[in-house]
Order: sequence, then structure tokens, then C-alpha cells
Amino acid sequence: MLQCHAKSCPQGQSYPLAIRNAELEQLDAEFNADFVTRLMPKLDWAVLRKTAFELGVAELPAEIPTEPTQADLQLIHKVALETRIKEADMVCNGCGHVYPIKDGVPNMLLQDHEI
Amino acid sequence: MEGLGKPQLEQTHVHNVYNIIAGHFSATRYKPWPVVDDFLRGLEKGSVGADVGCGNGKYLGVNPDVFTIGSDRSDKLIDICRERGFEAMVCDNLKLPYRDNCFDFLTSIAVIHHMSSPDRRLMAVNELIRVLRPGGRLLIFVWAFEQEKRSRRRFEEQDVFVPWKMPKNVYLPEGSAAANTTPNTTVEEEGGDVVYQRYYHLFKEGELEEIVGRSEGAIIDMSGYDRDNWYVIVTKA
Repeated sequence: MLQCHAKSCPQGQSYPLAIRNAELEQLDAEFNADFVTRLMPKLDWAVLRKTAFELGVAELPAEIPTEPTQADLQLIHKVALETRIKEADMVCNGCGHVYPIKDGVPNMLLQDHEI
Repeated sequence: MEGLGKPQLEQTHVHNVYNIIAGHFSATRYKPWPVVDDFLRGLEKGSVGADVGCGNGKYLGVNPDVFTIGSDRSDKLIDICRERGFEAMVCDNLKLPYRDNCFDFLTSIAVIHHMSSPDRRLMAVNELIRVLRPGGRLLIFVWAFEQEKRSRRRFEEQDVFVPWKMPKNVYLPEGSAAANTTPNTTVEEEGGDVVYQRYYHLFKEGELEEIVGRSEGAIIDMSGYDRDNWYVIVTKA
């Protein structure tokens, strides 16, 4: 969902941001199968899958499940709702801009000349 | 107010002030406004949205059946959101870091009135519309020039400084009270309180609709007045 928005960033390469030097934390969120089912079509599956794999969170199926099982839903719940990046750098593949995540908070502000 | 560039005015009299008063501000902001509450509770289950200018996050947990990402220009207010367990980030309404058409809903509650020119207010609305998906809904609230009879405030002009009074030594983060640690922020001593000046542009009747109407793709479903504020509910075409 997040993209690079620096003025000099080349079109088409501002998404997704790569995640480097990540420190993760595990949260406890109440599982709600209905909510996860409704959330699924809004996810960028390929990006979520790649990120979850690279960060060692989980291996999601290659294609988004059309008839998700309870286990699928629980896995998506864990990846999308119970995993939080505590510390990391989000790096734009287009222009190299680094957005830090500190104590769970991404800082997406730009300098004046980048707007 | 004259003499400061627009971004500098907002930096000094909006961003800096909110960072200083964050704790005290948050302690006084807990009751949801009914129109906002109804908007959030009326959303479809599983909706994904953003509260742009979320302050202390008082609306982030209103409807547990939707997923809301908070953001604010003030990192101190975002720290409060995080301590409360909400998802939130620091970013600027004038340049949102979100992809086009990615949210089912958005809220902008008491935010656009801190933008200090017509162009910047339109830019803020344009960014909201950009990240909203077609068919998605947006609620905007801004402070009204026209105050209710029972209101304690009366305004002479549309662009004003509104004081925020903090009891001295109560909520002040260490070292931030003194004017010399917060350059350009107006600090007045007044009976033991420290007074910070927040910039507001107060909206006159019809002005919010006029700005939103200039944003391409914005369709106004409803507009109204509630508790000294003007609001609009917008759908993206």
C-alpha cells in the first residue's frame, strides 16, 4: 500500500518498497474468519507473499486461495494482522530513498526539496 | 501571521505546537463526534481505510470490523497512537505515501483547516481523493467560522491564531516549554499557563463544498453543520 512519493522518483518503480534490516514483533490479534475473508481481495497477494517469505514470516501459497480453508485464513491473519515490523528501512527500488520504521512507526515525511 | 511563508506558518503554528501539546491535547480528546462515529460504524465489514490527521487516534478503534491506518504530521501524536496499540505512521496530507485508489474509506477530521492557503487546502483534498478507490467514501470535518450561539468562541476573521493553554509544569515534556527550544513558536506567560498559538483557517458556509467540488472525481453526497464544524461526505466517481 505504501509507495515512494519523492518528486525525482521514476514512474512505475515507486512500489513496492523493499524492506531491509527488519526486526519483527509478533502481536496477538483476535482471529475473525469473516474479516480476513473480506480483507483478502484487497491484498496485493504477490507483494504480500514475497515480503512474508523474505522476512521469514511464512510461506503463503503462490496463488491467492479462491476457496480458502480455515488454515489459509489463519495464516493470512498471522501474516497481515499479527506481524508487525518494529524496526526496518523501507527502500525505494526506483530512487533509493530510505524511509525508516522506528518502534513500529514508519516515517514517510520528505524534505521540502523532494516534494 | 504576515511575513511567514505558508509552509513555515504551518511548521511553526501547527506542527511544532501539536508536538509540544500532544500529551495534553490527547488527554482532552476522547469523545467521538456522532457524525464521525455513525460514518465509521456504517462501513462495510472488512473495509480498509485511513484516518489522515488522526491525532491521538481517537477514531482508530471505533469500528473493530474495519481496518484503519492512522497518520499524522506530528510524530508525538503518532507515538500516542502506537502506545494505544493502533497502526499509525508519520506523513504529510499534502503528499500522502499511499498508492492511487487504494482505500475503501478515509476520514479527515479537523485537519484541512490547518492548511494556510486555498491552494494548499485543495492540494490536501486532491491527495485524499487520489488515494480513495472509485466508489470509496470520504468524510471531511473542518472548523466553522459561524459558531453556534452557545459556543464560547466568536471569530472576527477567517485566518486566526487560536491559543492552546497548558498548565505550566504539568504536561510539558522536559525542556520543550522554553521558547528558545522551540524557535518561532509564540509562548506567552499568563497566570502560570503557557500559551501556544495554533493557526486555523475557519471555513465559511459553502466553502468546504466549493473546495471539494474543485477536486476531480469528488461527488458530494451530503454536507452539513455539526457542533461548530462544517462537514461533507464524498464519494469518488
